[in-house]
Amino acid sequence: MLTDLRVAVLIAAKDLRQRLRDRSAILVSIVAPLGLAIIFSGLLGNTTAFHARYVVANLDGGQLATVLRKDVIGALVTVKVADVTDAATRDEAIALVTDGKADAAFVIPAGFTAAINAGQGATIEIAGARNATLETEVARAVAQRFGDGVVSVQLAVATAAHLKGAPLDGPATGAIVTAAAAATPAVNLTDDVARLRQLSMATYFSASMAILFLFFSAQIGIVSLFDERRAGTLARILAGPIRPWSVLFGKLLAGFAMGVVSITVLVTATTLAIGADWGPPLGVALIGVTAIIAAIGISTLVASFAKTGESAGAAGSAVAITLGVLGGSFTVSSQSPDSMATIALFTPHGWFLRGLGELHGAGATAADALPAAGVLLAMGLATLALGLVRTRKLVTAR
Amino acid sequence: MTGEPQAPVVLSVRGLRKRYGDLEAVKDVSFDIREGETYGLLGPNGAGKSTTISIVCGLLRRDAGEVTVDGKPIDTGAVAAKAGIGVVPQDLAIYPDLSARENLTFFGRLYGLGGARLKSRIDTCLELVGLADRANERTDHFSGGMQRRLNIAIGMLHEPRLLLLDEPTVGVDPQSRNAILESIAALGREGMAVLYTTHYMEEAERLCDRVGIIDAGEIRAEGTRRELVALVGQRDEVRLTATGDLGAATKAVGALPGVGGAVVRDGVLELVVDDARGMLPRLLDAVDKAGATVRGVDVVQPDLEAVFLHLTGRALRDAS
Ligand SMILES: Nc1ncnc2c1ncn2[C@@H]1O[C@H](COP(=O)(O)OP(=O)(O)O)[C@@H](O)[C@H]1O
Ligand SMILES: [Mg+2]
Repeated sequence: MLTDLRVAVLIAAKDLRQRLRDRSAILVSIVAPLGLAIIFSGLLGNTTAFHARYVVANLDGGQLATVLRKDVIGALVTVKVADVTDAATRDEAIALVTDGKADAAFVIPAGFTAAINAGQGATIEIAGARNATLETEVARAVAQRFGDGVVSVQLAVATAAHLKGAPLDGPATGAIVTAAAAATPAVNLTDDVARLRQLSMATYFSASMAILFLFFSAQIGIVSLFDERRAGTLARILAGPIRPWSVLFGKLLAGFAMGVVSITVLVTATTLAIGADWGPPLGVALIGVTAIIAAIGISTLVASFAKTGESAGAAGSAVAITLGVLGGSFTVSSQSPDSMATIALFTPHGWFLRGLGELHGAGATAADALPAAGVLLAMGLATLALGLVRTRKLVTAR
Repeated sequence: MTGEPQAPVVLSVRGLRKRYGDLEAVKDVSFDIREGETYGLLGPNGAGKSTTISIVCGLLRRDAGEVTVDGKPIDTGAVAAKAGIGVVPQDLAIYPDLSARENLTFFGRLYGLGGARLKSRIDTCLELVGLADRANERTDHFSGGMQRRLNIAIGMLHEPRLLLLDEPTVGVDPQSRNAILESIAALGREGMAVLYTTHYMEEAERLCDRVGIIDAGEIRAEGTRRELVALVGQRDEVRLTATGDLGAATKAVGALPGVGGAVVRDGVLELVVDDARGMLPRLLDAVDKAGATVRGVDVVQPDLEAVFLHLTGRALRDAS
């Protein structure tokens, strides 16, 4: 067993040495995704592409609630960042979000003004649509900003980010904001929105490009198995004192290592270069590793239908791009219809972006990435098992 | 064979059979190779040489038969026993984007070599195949002959008990070929058992202690060069250099009684005949009548080429 592992590591190390010598592999694993992430976030970060649709259920109607509705949320309309409509009830507001007619809802509870004037805490609920991470983030920031401006009170903002038809069960505990500042001038608010938009765009595109190109780097291992078969080196390896499975395992290991290098470089570089905010490192690592496993599993399965390295590579690329399109790698989430969000759930890309989104909720920890990581792992292991059963013929004697 | 005590058998092949669909590529092949012995499988393209090698090194399943190396059975799952075998495949099997040394290091480690021993073996093998001064260059910058030599070095790196060489000189310039043959001869002297396949009669004659003549999946005869040539018996090999309709001439002389085989190679009519002196007038007459003109006549000692002709009625090199 130990020697099998040694052989696998030996083959993977040899593959990595070859790949790092190969400009196209570096291009596809690092340069292309990094370049595109920077270009996209640069292009879109400076446009007014961001536009949110908010609904407000002002159930209080008191003085502070009116300030929040008119002066704070209203300012978003003034600076053309959002459309704002009003709803009579909480249910109505949330229905608009779940129906895709609004990106996020502000629910100002009855008794809001009175509670704050009495020096008690109050909670503003933010309910955001699943496919509107960015818009929900902005809404949350606006509400929190308002809390910052309210003198000597505690205001909780409960964010139900990524609401997907599920009812909100009462005011959840969110971040408790203690603030001492005075007013909430609209100018500061728009600055804040602009900053947020920039950050999130950078993160979004970095993540999209990372998962898209991960498929290209992860398939390098399994595709090289075909190349080695044609070159005769596979036969030469198999003539050695080794078990065939260790060769397959070595190839997977090489793909995994390429994936780790690619993601690590991308996360680091986009964080430094364009200020992408990936979230808690442990959570990002969890999502990253499981996404690599998913990418390897799917590439292995796809490659198992191919006859040559070229066809395996081409099929892998076609599948990678298709999954990328379906999974939202090419679309800004706020502009995609709800049906796309459903389709995205069948792709590792969708779950990767979703998992990273979960890491950006208020007070999110690495644990919030677990469900998405679980789905990615399951996708990876299932496709890998099938793929290996089918690829086995490449390494077993005829 | 000889009076001296025989070295132990390293490779034993018994009743080997392999079928690809309707084609029986290897039909009941048996042979032994002893320690320090170089055994040649001489036969044309498609004779079944590579198929035999693939089975012997455990890459290909056999339909029937037995293969043992040092008494240990070899088959596709014989992981440990395969460590004693080195393979030099017919087609180059090296990494073009790695240097010669990196290629050797990878395959050396695969066979369990490491540390100082790996390094010294690599240096020895590079020296042996004449690549020591180019060791750190990528192999895609090598000439065809250099790539072939590296291909061979990889097979002998781990000092296997048995080295399988599948037509290692095909497509190699004469100088490289000479170097290759010399390094292989050195291995035999060191006690390695070598299985060498070729369709070049000269290589088999020069290199091999014993030769098996293989055609259409069968070993037709086996022995030392002297033993094989004796099979041609009292017969002579006659070479007629001729111009004109050589095809018709071949047919005409081939039909004469006392002619064992007749082929044309490079404008030369090659015949195995019972008695050259007695038959020559009739041969010249037949060639003349067929519309060709004889320009020169050679009566030569039969060689392995003649043995092949005698056994199969075809020329070694044209038989493919
Ligand atoms: N994988 C294969 N499938 C079908 N036929 C094959 C295969 N490999 C070899 N053959 C056939 O088997 C015969 C022997 O081939 P091979 O062992 O390569 O001969 P040699 O090495 O002596 O040239 C040839 O007729 C060849 O066409
Ligand atoms: Mg061959």
